This record gives sequence, structure tokens and C-alpha cells, in this order.
Amino acid sequence: MNGRGRREERARGREVVRGACAAALLTTMACGSKEHGARTAELAAATVPAPAGVAAPSVAARGAAWLPEGATDGDWMMPSRDYAGTRYSPLTEVDTSNVGTLQLAWTFDDGESHYGHEMTPLVQGNTMYIVSPFPNRAYAIDLSKPGGQVKWKFEPNPSPIAIGKACCDAVNRGAALYDGKLIFNLLDDHTVAVDAATGKEVWRTKLANVEDGTTMTMAPLVVDGKVYVGNSGGEMGVSGWLAALDAGTGKELWRAYSVGPDSMVRIGNEFSPFYSWMRGKDLGVKTWPANAWKHGAGAVWGWVTYDPESKWIYYGTSNTGPWNAAQRPGLNLWTSGVFARNADDGMARWAYVFTPHNEWDYDGVNENVLVDLPIDGHPRKVMVQFNRNGFAYTIDRTTGEVLVAKPFGHENWASGIDPKTAMPIVNEAKHTVPPGRWVRDICPADIGVKDFEPTAFSPKTGLFYVPVQNVCMDYKGREVSYIAGTPYWGAHMSRHTGPGGHPGSFIAFDAAKGEKVWEIPEDFLVYSGALVTAGDVVFYGTIEGWFRAADARTGKVLWSRKLGSGIISAPMAYRAPDGHEYIAVAAGVGGGAMTQASQPGFPPRGSTYYVFSLGKNVPAVPPQTGAKGEGGAPQKTGGKP
Amino acid sequence: MSDSRRAWTVPAALLIAAAVGCRQDTQDVRGGAVGDRTLPQSQPAVLRAADTTGLPAEGALARVAIGDIAGVGNNTLATQMKNPYSGDMAAITQGQELFVGMNCAACHGYDLKGGMGPDLTDTYWRYGGSPAAIYKTIFEGRPQGMPAWGRTIPPALIWKVAAYIESKGGAFPARLADRGRQGDLADEDTTAGSTLKGRNNVY
Repeated sequence: MNGRGRREERARGREVVRGACAAALLTTMACGSKEHGARTAELAAATVPAPAGVAAPSVAARGAAWLPEGATDGDWMMPSRDYAGTRYSPLTEVDTSNVGTLQLAWTFDDGESHYGHEMTPLVQGNTMYIVSPFPNRAYAIDLSKPGGQVKWKFEPNPSPIAIGKACCDAVNRGAALYDGKLIFNLLDDHTVAVDAATGKEVWRTKLANVEDGTTMTMAPLVVDGKVYVGNSGGEMGVSGWLAALDAGTGKELWRAYSVGPDSMVRIGNEFSPFYSWMRGKDLGVKTWPANAWKHGAGAVWGWVTYDPESKWIYYGTSNTGPWNAAQRPGLNLWTSGVFARNADDGMARWAYVFTPHNEWDYDGVNENVLVDLPIDGHPRKVMVQFNRNGFAYTIDRTTGEVLVAKPFGHENWASGIDPKTAMPIVNEAKHTVPPGRWVRDICPADIGVKDFEPTAFSPKTGLFYVPVQNVCMDYKGREVSYIAGTPYWGAHMSRHTGPGGHPGSFIAFDAAKGEKVWEIPEDFLVYSGALVTAGDVVFYGTIEGWFRAADARTGKVLWSRKLGSGIISAPMAYRAPDGHEYIAVAAGVGGGAMTQASQPGFPPRGSTYYVFSLGKNVPAVPPQTGAKGEGGAPQKTGGKP
Repeated sequence: MSDSRRAWTVPAALLIAAAVGCRQDTQDVRGGAVGDRTLPQSQPAVLRAADTTGLPAEGALARVAIGDIAGVGNNTLATQMKNPYSGDMAAITQGQELFVGMNCAACHGYDLKGGMGPDLTDTYWRYGGSPAAIYKTIFEGRPQGMPAWGRTIPPALIWKVAAYIESKGGAFPARLADRGRQGDLADEDTTAGSTLKGRNNVY
């Protein structure tokens, strides 16, 4: 998909055009907005100040159990920093009063500019760790050396077959540091653990056959000696799964499928979904036509979170396959939903399906952030997911009861979520069945009001910070046959900007009430993750390449810098050996952001990590150190792609 | 030709496609479409050897070098092999139906403009853009995810898919096969009467 030959620069026009998890092959983005639809007025609302006295459940106060073992307040050892998935940093040196003086401290380039950079750098102690998109090279960078010096490089050499099996760019969403190991997935369906001190491979486990269309792009969650990994391939007719590996050896301990009989889904006596339509035996088979579940997707390519008190894990399942829903009448459980499972044995505790019989590619894989919020005046243990389908779900994470489900952006496919059954009330005009006809202006488009790009939650403000997309689609289903290793897709589609004129925005959202608090409109989709700090500063990036800092309480933009490429990664904050706070983010557009590649102002691809600090901390003249050639970016080696 | 005849079997996936999944898309596999020169009309899907009458010999195809390799000798005879279906509208229509039915379109785009897989209309060919090179790429598969269809699709239908791709303007005529082997340089053809769309062509 991207020319890698001698003249790769001439592979113009061959950018991977696909929606996140969307085989978007044919996407033509129309720029004009269509002025119809329901909730647009809300979206267009101007910035309003945060309500005073917002409840402030303290994630930080939960203590070390919610952080990877050994993490200090200046460390960032997993993509979301904590098991709850908040992406909240307790560092306070950078705050609303001084963030305007942020300056570039140093940069690093991993040389893999062909593919999107969706990861978050990790830091433990004096070392930063990054994993590139395919070919998934890992780097350790010594932060005690000026400008950051490469400590080691690890080249896993995954199979290039994987490039052509990944629906939505050959991306990687990050690694996890655990017990002296850097653990991450390779696009060709291996999980690998590398000695964090030396860069030597400790173990490597094969999880699936890439030839059959399975790839792996998600970041593992590692806790209590187990590594949780899942597959990608929702457009390739896979059946989704989450597997647990032994963190010490890589040995697979169990695997829980998203479809199939209860034995495969790991549903047993402990399974207790809140709603009756999800109760019964083998619903992962019975809610499908005969054998259709075998290629029904429910891939697990998003985020996994963990509650150390209940010792349950939470993760979502991808779109239903194929997209053409006419080929799979039924509720199609357990795709497009969320599971709560025992972290230990993987047995399901409850499940909820956001989009039953998903006709629009609304994956359920977005992060499930585990926080405690006041609902109707009572503190509740909840998980919050900003779903692709445009609704923000606040769910009791102990029972699976949907407490709040409100739109957080423009959608018109459903008029709401039934409070009794928690099923969406689908707009009849937006059904894509029967196929073979164009259904116009379905909002959101396949890539959703929000895709995988993760939100941040501040226990200080009690608010979520959410990247928002305002894109709709015209859609025509078509019959498709399953052929292993090829897309099992079945749809024509074209996307256009939704009402209001802004393809994206960045918002603050009160998940206890289901209300937007403030909004920053942007000229492109906002496809980056978010970071919020104890300095009440929230960071995000735009596809155009703007990296912004805003006041977490008011949404006032306090600082912006244009980076070399579009930002689809999630920023992070760490304390360097010099004792100061640094903010890091990767700029390398790709993934679902390529759906806007034809828009004026769309940047070139890139592969650079930018690290910022307050101006007073950045030395004007770097000190002379070491022998010549000791530092700097690594050389790209030829040969294998 | 005898050594070039092989027992082509239609595997289960294709049978399923023909019988269940997308009847319209793969009707040509069962020989139902007008103008099919190689498969009898209105036959049910059965396992049988494919008729290769009138098609280039597999032995000759095997000598065609993969594109994008500098300095591949002077083996021009085989590389300049023509597609027996070039410009045949009925065959092109069948090729298009197969292109959709076998999910080629889902990777390369219904308009062939690319997606998960490369654009097939832009005259940039990693593995050669001549008819024989395209045939071989479909037959053998390629390293970055292109499946090998040689065991699945009979030769006549591969040629028809190639004819459909050629009809979209990005491929090179057989006479330029040598240039086609040079990968992306081939679109700089300036020979008189060239109809290629490359950047250096006045046409």
C-alpha cells in the first residue's frame, strides 16, 4: 500500500485510505456539510465555563494499586499510565500559568514514516521507550543524556505479509513496562517481551496466522503476572479474542473469544449480564445464522483496563462482520460490546452490547475508563466509554447497568438508548438492511464520533477530555463472500463532514450527567488521544499537526505548536532525571486520519517524537558530552522493510 | 500445450462464493455470462479441469521475471506476452465481476484507486505492469499481503481480471514489458503513440 522501493516517494496517491478499523477503500470525503440532523445545535454551542464544585473523585488517592508496580509519580509505564485508563499525570510543574512558555527540548525520529504513529511513549526512571509502527522496532532512550541518547534498539522483523492484512494502516498502539520487560505486539500476530535494560528478547509468542487476515495492533495490558492481548481484523472475517499470557514466559494461559459457544467465550456460572436479552446459553452462536459467528469479528484491538479492587478486566469488542448486516440477521452477540471478566481465569462477569446487530461499523473497542462518579448524588463505581456510535456510556462497572447514555457529538442513527433495555432506539431511515441501495447521511460515519484515540480523565475536575469527529456517511451494503485472507466487508461508502462546518473538535464532558462542558472546534477530525495533568492543563493534537494545551476547566487554548506531521498518538507527561516535567507526543499521521487525506492542508506523513518542557528548563546551548557519534538518532538499516 | 494443462480445481471457498455468498458477483465462475470463451454456458459449479485453449502456456509465463528488479537479463520474449482478452469487453466485464466477487475490490478499491492494497491505475507497478507481470502477480501473490490466486482461479479468469485492470489505464502494453520490469520508470514512456498516462507523456 505504500511504495517501499527505491523510489518510494513516487508512491503518491497510494496512501492507505481507510477508516479506523474500516476498510475504507473508497472513501471520498466531500467537504461540504449537510445541514440536517438532530443534535447539531448542541455541538455548535460555544465554550462555557466548567460548573463550580464539580465532584472530584480522586484517582490519585486510590494509591499504588492502580499503577504498575514500581511506578513513581513521574513515570508513565503503560499507555494510559494507570490501570483505570485515565491518562492523568499528577505532575504540577507545567500549569495553566506557565504552559504558554513550553519549548521544544528535543526530538527523536524512528524512521518509520510510512505508517501512522498511534502509540504513547513510556518512561520509567531515566529511560524512555517507544515502539514504532511496522516493522515494530523498539527503542530505549537514555533521558539522562542531553537530547536523549539511544540506549538500545530491538528489531523483531515481523512478516511483511501483515502490512497487507491490516485494514487501517500498519500501526501499533504501544507497549507496557512490567517487571523489567518491555512487552508489545507485532503486526504479524506475535507478542514479544524485551529486557528493558538490554533490549534482548526474552520471549515471543505466536497468537494467530497473519495469512488468514488476523493482525495485532493493540497495546497489551500487563498486571499481576499476566499479559492481556487481543486481535485486529474486524474487516477480514476473523473471530475476535482476548488472550492472557504468562508475563514471565509468554505461555498462553487462556483465550476468550467474542463469538461462539459459551465454552469459547468463557461464559460460566459467574456470568450475570444486567439486561435480560443478553441472558441465555450460547448466545454467541444462537444470535447468528448458522456458522456466521465464525467470521463475525468482535476483534479486540482497543484498550484493556483493570480494577485492582475487584480484579476484573474490561475491554470492548469490534464491529460485527461482515459490515453487510443482511448476511447475519440476529443480535450478533458479543460483537460491538464490552466484557467484564475475572483477570485471573478470564471467565466473564457481565457483558453489554452497545450496538446489537451493528449495521454501521460502530466498534465497541474504545477505552473503558474506570472511575468513581456521583450519579444522582450517590457515588458509583462506573466505567465510561465514549463509543464510536456517538453515545457516551456511564455504566455501573460491578453490574453492567447503563446509568447514563447521552450523545457527545453529532449522531442521527439512533434517537436514544432505551432506559429499560439499554438497547439503541434506531432511526428507521438509517437502517442499511436491505443492502444494494444507498442510505444517505448516516451520522456518524464508520469511524465514529470517536475512534480508538483515548480520552483523558482528571480527578481534579471530574471531567473527561474527548477527541470528537463530526463525519457522516452514505452507505450501501452489498453481498460478500468469505475468502480467507481477504476483506470480509461488503459495503460501499463515502464520507462527508457533518453539520456545523467543523469536522472535529475537542471537548470536556461530564460523564455523570452526560453533558458537554466546553468545546474547541477544529478544522480536521481530532484523531489524537488526550492527556490531562494535575496542573489543570489538557493536551491534544490535530490531524493538521497542531499540538495544543488548554485550560482543563475552561477550554481556553493556552499554547499551540505546529509539528511536522498530523498527530494521531496520545501525549504523555513524565519527570526527567533533571527533576523537571516534560510532555512528549508523536507526530505521524496515518490510520483512520487518512480518510481526510484529500482535504486542503493535510500534512505529509511523519515519524517524529517531540518533547517539550518549560522554557527555563531547556538549555540554550547543549553541553558537550561524550565522544562524537555516541548520540543522535539511529541509522535506518536497509534490507528488510 | 500438453505440459501446460493442469488440473485446476475450484476450491471450497470459490464454490461457496458461487453457490451462496454472491451469486451475481461470481456468475462468471460458473460460466453463465455472455462471451465466455473458455467455460461452457449455464453449467453448475463442478470440479473439473479448466480449459486453457488459446491461453499463453504456463511454461512461458514461468519465465517472466518479476518486476522491480534491476538488471533482469534480456528475456523479452515471454515478458512481451499479450493478454488474449485485452480489449474484449465481455471478458473485461467478467473480469470486473470476479474482481469484486473475489474481494479484490475490497483491498484495491471498487474504482481500483487503492485502499489496503495499491492503486492499480497510477502506472506505478512494484512488480511490473505488463499483462504477463500482472497475471503472475495475481497467480503467485506478493509479499505484502497479496494472496496467491493461482490455485483458486482458473487461468482464463485470471487473464480476464488482468484485462479488466488493463482497461483502467494503469497497465503497460505488452510491448513495453521491458520498461514495466523497471517498476516505476515505465510510465515515462515517450515512444510515439504511447497512450500511457505517465507524468512525462504528452498524451
